[in-house]
Amino acid sequence: MGQSNNIRPPKYILRILRLFVKRNYLEEIEGDMEEIFQDNMKAHSKAKARRLYAWETLKLLRPIIMKKIKVSSSPNHYGMFKNHFKTSLRSLRKNLLFSGINITGLSISMAVGILMILLLSELGSFDSFHDQKDNIYRLTSSKTMFGRERNLATASIFIANELDEKASGVERVAIVRGGLTADIKTKDGGLNINGFYSSSSFFDVFSFKLKEGNPRAALADPNSIVLTESTSRMIFGRENPMGKPMTMITGSGLNDTINGMVTGILRDPPLNSHMRFEVLVSLNTLDNTSISTSSERRDFRTDPQDISLNYIYLVLNETVKKEHIESVLANIMNGINSRIETPITHLLQPLDSFVTSESSLLENLPGPSFPLNRIFLMVGLTFIVLLSACFNYTNLSLARALRRSREIGIRKVIGASRFQVFGQFIVEAVLLALIALIIGLGLFFLIKPEFLDLPNPAARGHRMFSLDMDYVHLLYFIVFAVVTGCIAGFLPSFILSKLKGNIIFNNASKIKIFSGTDLRRVLMVFQFIMSIGLIMCAVLVHKQYRFAVDYDLGYNTDQIVNISIKGDYIDLLEYEYGKIPEVEGTSKSSMVLGIGGAIMGLAESEDRNSSIRFLINEIDEKYLDMHEFEVLAGSGFLDALKENENRQHIIVNEEFLKGLDLGPPQDAIGKNIWYNNDRLRILGVVKNFVNMSLTMNLEKAFAFVQPSDSKRYTTLGVKLSGNDLVASMEKLEKGYVGLDSVHPFESTFYDSKIAETYEQHKATYNIISFLAVLAVLISTLGLMGMAVFTVESRKKEVGIRKVLGAGIGNLALLLSRGYFVMIIIAGAIAIPLSLYLVNKIVMNEFLYRTKLGIPEVLSGFLVVVVMSAITIGRQIIMAAVRNPADTLRTE
Amino acid sequence: MIFNIFTAITKEIKMKKTKLGEFEELVLLTVVVLQNEAYGVRIKKELEERLGETLSVGSIQSALKRMEQKGFLTSEFGGATRKRGGKRKRIYTASRQAHRVLGEIKEIRARLWASMPELSTL
Repeated sequence: MGQSNNIRPPKYILRILRLFVKRNYLEEIEGDMEEIFQDNMKAHSKAKARRLYAWETLKLLRPIIMKKIKVSSSPNHYGMFKNHFKTSLRSLRKNLLFSGINITGLSISMAVGILMILLLSELGSFDSFHDQKDNIYRLTSSKTMFGRERNLATASIFIANELDEKASGVERVAIVRGGLTADIKTKDGGLNINGFYSSSSFFDVFSFKLKEGNPRAALADPNSIVLTESTSRMIFGRENPMGKPMTMITGSGLNDTINGMVTGILRDPPLNSHMRFEVLVSLNTLDNTSISTSSERRDFRTDPQDISLNYIYLVLNETVKKEHIESVLANIMNGINSRIETPITHLLQPLDSFVTSESSLLENLPGPSFPLNRIFLMVGLTFIVLLSACFNYTNLSLARALRRSREIGIRKVIGASRFQVFGQFIVEAVLLALIALIIGLGLFFLIKPEFLDLPNPAARGHRMFSLDMDYVHLLYFIVFAVVTGCIAGFLPSFILSKLKGNIIFNNASKIKIFSGTDLRRVLMVFQFIMSIGLIMCAVLVHKQYRFAVDYDLGYNTDQIVNISIKGDYIDLLEYEYGKIPEVEGTSKSSMVLGIGGAIMGLAESEDRNSSIRFLINEIDEKYLDMHEFEVLAGSGFLDALKENENRQHIIVNEEFLKGLDLGPPQDAIGKNIWYNNDRLRILGVVKNFVNMSLTMNLEKAFAFVQPSDSKRYTTLGVKLSGNDLVASMEKLEKGYVGLDSVHPFESTFYDSKIAETYEQHKATYNIISFLAVLAVLISTLGLMGMAVFTVESRKKEVGIRKVLGAGIGNLALLLSRGYFVMIIIAGAIAIPLSLYLVNKIVMNEFLYRTKLGIPEVLSGFLVVVVMSAITIGRQIIMAAVRNPADTLRTE
Repeated sequence: MIFNIFTAITKEIKMKKTKLGEFEELVLLTVVVLQNEAYGVRIKKELEERLGETLSVGSIQSALKRMEQKGFLTSEFGGATRKRGGKRKRIYTASRQAHRVLGEIKEIRARLWASMPELSTL
């Protein structure tokens, strides 16, 4: 019962009260509550009064008393939207330059984005036409071969059978064996087709449709042939080939003949199949020993080490886990691995990763591959381009913020909520993005054919993608555009909506240029970093690529073209070529150096105490001279082997000597080694040279021998003289066609062959440089816009300075100083970052790296500086030259 | 927006069913009785005394506001006092419509009471 007049009701509760009570009722209710509070203070303790106050406040929470919840479902939504739409269009039209820059940047991003979306969508749909796609797996093998761990997409038939027997949960097994390349005689001549040998369960696993023939029986009997529709048309024309006989000549050296019968016609495998083929032959055809003479070994069904040719596909029961089968595999292999030299590990690969597995990690793929890391690279770069465009938009919008402050002020005064102002600017950004989408679609159709032509070595002449558009994709694109608009417009809208109406009108001088100058600077620096970085990466990758191609291999490759021979006519052809004047020389070999193909051999020292693995090439007596190998001791082969003569000599390289401890080259001549149960005398020693492509580990030891049979030569090397290579090539082709009417004339120059190996790196380089150009273009546009704006807004300042006596040089320096500081900062960050990234990601694949000089390192930086100088410079000169009287007139 | 629709519909239903709830009737009667002194706190105290139980400010206020919306009450600002922290009170007055309805109800009740059988046997 004390003085109650000075004590107020609890402050925070009162605040809550004021929050929810309707404004009309507030005075009365607040007054009532206070009166009651004071009464309670008299009747009870202070604490109780406060408690009662809180309690009563709580009980005041009734709908009729509470403020109406302000849901923005004001019935005028449509009207507001129309207004925003119109305002946006008007604003876009008024600032044509800025709108143009933004639209250009965004259109380019849209085009690239569309490409990415279609690409990813197509990749995701690979092999999706198989009914059992969720349960199809492929057996992979890992084995240490030639000193390196190799991962293959193939396995042995042995393990497939073991698995079929011993593992429960494996419902179906299809064995698809590669290496089928056959010559067919047709009415018009002959042609060569590629495909697989396959077990009859092929159609139980895969959902390829048979147009004619019974899927259960088509591959059941030996000598059964299934053709794809287009292949059948090539061979049989319009006739129905079902039941007709067909003769195929296969095998290396084309020694094997299959007299088969056509048992099925397959609809052409769709483009999104990981397996590409023209013909299927029943697997049991190979059981006929009279057919498989040289290439296929007799025990291909039972040898657990025959893991390079067979694709083993499994259909697992839904309830079975992949790990379970893998452990069964490990158990089986445990026993086997104890008996063989290097252990083999088998794992399962699910269908959805067939195409995206990295080709450098998984070899022997049966069709196209598009490894995940390259996909990530492209998506990442696309994202950078997109960011560039978004930064432009943000920058330019913020710069112009001041111009729109009056409009914003009026809107707020009339009653727009902050959210509505925010929404207006987002609408503007999204609208711009949608316009850009339309233009981007147009751009996309322009670049689509270019992209589809990108070479992919694993696709062997087939196109990788079709990039068809579906209505669903249109939806994706629209969503993409809207999201881009929201991202690009978010920052400007956020900042602009913060402007307070009364401040604009009352106190114009107090408006801070918070239009985020610091933020804008950061964004610009970012753009510069991206541009510098991308250019640098492109330059570095290109340099490495050229370096790899030009690397001194240790032998001469100029003007030498390699012709692949697929018949028994190499001596004849050599003789024919000898008549052509442009041909300086010819030589035969079984292997082309520098590409990466390998024939391995095992050699032992004379006392059989040590042995090494080495790579071997069978050559004739002219080979070493033609390629200008450096012979350190002894000589090359002197004569060709006669009809039944056994080989007696071998020519080795320095590494070979080291491996068998044979001493220095001079001393090694005359020593003997064992190879293939032949005792061979070392006739000569050559200097070490590069054999495998520079991306794989070099196999060090190498040797040349003479072949036991001239049929083993697969390549005729021809050294051409003179400059008119095209004419010479035509003569070579004519000579070839005269002797071989079945196979197309395949010739490659060493340079192009080596370059082909780097095709995939080249493709990567092309993509990087393309996207780099885009990003730089967009940044430059943005820079130009900023420059225009800055100069515009400072024109009065420039005018005054001019009047006070500043020269053009001074003015130029003043206006551009800020930009160059930003570029230098960007360079300081971008250069080390790019170097690090390129080293880590790209260079890792190369053993021999090019040296990086100052020009490469500064390349990106210099390009950006020059582009900036041009864009800013022009603006500055224009401003500096302007007559100050004009700009100051309105003061 | 949905909430507003909801309240509007329930109001419609309420209006159709009963014109005046029991509590509302009591509050209305109290307003008539208190004449010039009919404002929130006073109404509350009066009713509490007559009913012999405590009422919350919320219930009184919501009844008053509802009836004002229905048209049974009018109100205008009265004087402010120090006790109320300088806030004015609202004085409520029953409308002619309210008087009529009260009369009707009283009439109905009276007749019902008259038709009641002798209570002595209960």
